[in-house]
Amino acid sequence: MRFRAGVSAAIASTGILIAGWQYGLHVSDSNASITTTAAGTNGNASSNGAAAGGAGNGGAGNGGSGNSGSGNSGAGNSGSGSSGSGSTSGSASAGASAKAGGTYQGSVVTTRFGSVQVQVTVKAGTITDVTALKLTDDDRKSVQISNRAAPLLRSEVLAAQSADVQTISGATVTSEAYLTSLQAALDAANF
Amino acid sequence: MHSVLKPPSPKLANKPASTTSFEAQGRRRMFRADLLAVGLWSSLAISVALWLADGGASSIGTVGDAVTAAGIVAGLVGMDLVLVMLLLAARIPLIDATVGHDRALEFHRRLGKPSLYLLLAHGVLVAIGYGMAEGLDPVSESIALWTLVPDMWLAFVSLALFIGIVLTSLVIVRRRFPYEFWYCVHLLTYLAVATSIPHQFSVGGLFAEGTWQRWYWMALCVATGAALIWYRVVTPLRATFRHQLTVHGVVPEAPGVVSIVMDGLHVDRLTGHGGRFFIWRFLAPGLWWHAHPFSMSAEPRPTSPPGVGQIRITVRNLGKGSAALASLKPGTKVAVEGPYGLFSSAARTRRRLVLIGAGIGITPLRALLESTPFSPGDATVILRGGSPDELYLGREIMALCEARGATLYHLTGPRSRRQQATAAKSPTAGGHPGANGTVARDAAGWLPAEAADAGYRLVDYAPDLADADIYICGPSAWTRHVIADAKSSGAKDEQIHNERFDW
Repeated sequence: MRFRAGVSAAIASTGILIAGWQYGLHVSDSNASITTTAAGTNGNASSNGAAAGGAGNGGAGNGGSGNSGSGNSGAGNSGSGSSGSGSTSGSASAGASAKAGGTYQGSVVTTRFGSVQVQVTVKAGTITDVTALKLTDDDRKSVQISNRAAPLLRSEVLAAQSADVQTISGATVTSEAYLTSLQAALDAANF
Repeated sequence: MHSVLKPPSPKLANKPASTTSFEAQGRRRMFRADLLAVGLWSSLAISVALWLADGGASSIGTVGDAVTAAGIVAGLVGMDLVLVMLLLAARIPLIDATVGHDRALEFHRRLGKPSLYLLLAHGVLVAIGYGMAEGLDPVSESIALWTLVPDMWLAFVSLALFIGIVLTSLVIVRRRFPYEFWYCVHLLTYLAVATSIPHQFSVGGLFAEGTWQRWYWMALCVATGAALIWYRVVTPLRATFRHQLTVHGVVPEAPGVVSIVMDGLHVDRLTGHGGRFFIWRFLAPGLWWHAHPFSMSAEPRPTSPPGVGQIRITVRNLGKGSAALASLKPGTKVAVEGPYGLFSSAARTRRRLVLIGAGIGITPLRALLESTPFSPGDATVILRGGSPDELYLGREIMALCEARGATLYHLTGPRSRRQQATAAKSPTAGGHPGANGTVARDAAGWLPAEAADAGYRLVDYAPDLADADIYICGPSAWTRHVIADAKSSGAKDEQIHNERFDW
């Protein structure tokens, strides 16, 4: 009887472990492919998270790649013509008021899992879009968490029209950095 | 004598038909035991497999990653073990009816230290792993985790609590403090588990929102909590209110030994087919907070009017708490938890029966002898005591043996002092673990000196023991000797039933 239990337990445990391992391989493969395609389109590794998140979210179609052109420098400067996205932020001068609208970059917030930076688009006194320029991506795990958290945070911010929203549990560090950077961007926009 | 000396109730004696099903019952129980073992190992495997399924292993790139990963796995397995420990202590009927309350708790105790080591390894390895990733030493990293990451301070508190709980549960420490102190510290387990949960779900990426890992672990935690509340709180309260037990009277049986007879409602339904031991609380000033584990020393006895009955336990004056029981006043209300254990017909695997008891351990046999089905000639009862006075309830047992056709032996007298000599005589006979030379010595150790020196063994009293269920109840050292003797005559583990009380 003892023997039967031992053998059954060994077989069951081994089966479960192998199943988990196989599934894990599959997950990491698909994750890797997301990362590489995203990196391929815009050549900017820091926006991977946003790209993948956007894909999952199917949201506003502003295509992270369009906005986060690598040429951005300084606040209030948008990328050049984004590809067919609705949120063509055009040109906005630095220090423009929230009424005038425009695109503003938040500060870079460094966390233990990587640094976070977001960009906010303000139009006629409302936040119309939040794009993550850089998300925690120190390892695959962090990328995964970021990919999940970014769209949730974006929709929460758009609904609340402020950086005063709840953090995503399981992604507390990323959330706090995201919201800190967002607040800096909103401050820059005099929002 | 007031106590219940009467022939067995005809209802019970009339169902020896069920003896034929004992083998099937035994097989079913063994199957359940195997299933529980498989479930335990599978739960450990699942906790690792869920981590693997999340791509855990493939994310390892650096040494720091590997250390962190090992830490995470240690934490997951540790948490699983802690939940298993809680389930083992939850008095779940399936577990109780399969391995017995005492063995479940014994296993619970054995898991204590491994769980603690895993949780410690979790903390240390994650601190080292994160520290390596950030170029910090583990201590600074721990401080950073404590101060910067939300919920982490709770996790540190939890770890400290776990260390305290395991330390106070070590036998050496436990002997220095009263049982109640240990019990209160043990209640902190719930706090330790509760404080460990927030960081798992907020900081642990594996339990992130939207993952099914989160759902699995949440379900596991909730189910464990629900089982604890249901079986340790709700069920005992219901039994207490349903049966309304009150003390009927306290009857002296022998010097230092009393029977406590209680009145109650539906007492026949209090026990059923299963275990025979309860945890009693006598709701009198100074006594109510003291929980006493005692077996019934007689089957529940209906009295008039219908639905009312009596139940009896027999207690020896062992500790402070037991001494106070002798002066219980009639009418004292009694809270009851149970029945628990497997020292009952539910453990039977064979048609034949051997009952062996020593001292106060004789009293549970009295109830079993009354109720368990057997045909005349199929049962042997062996009572062991230092003197004939110590064969408690001996007269009742003799009457039952006469009525039901069981063979009865009284073995009295001091233990053998010449066990060493017999050890040399017979070499390895049985499967007793430990040094082979001790088998023979152990095997004779339960007998009075005269019988041991004459070369008698258990098999001489119960020739059928290799094909019988053997119920043993007595002090733990004595019980070990009996088990060694039974095994050396061919009894298997599944046939040997003993319940430990002295812990």
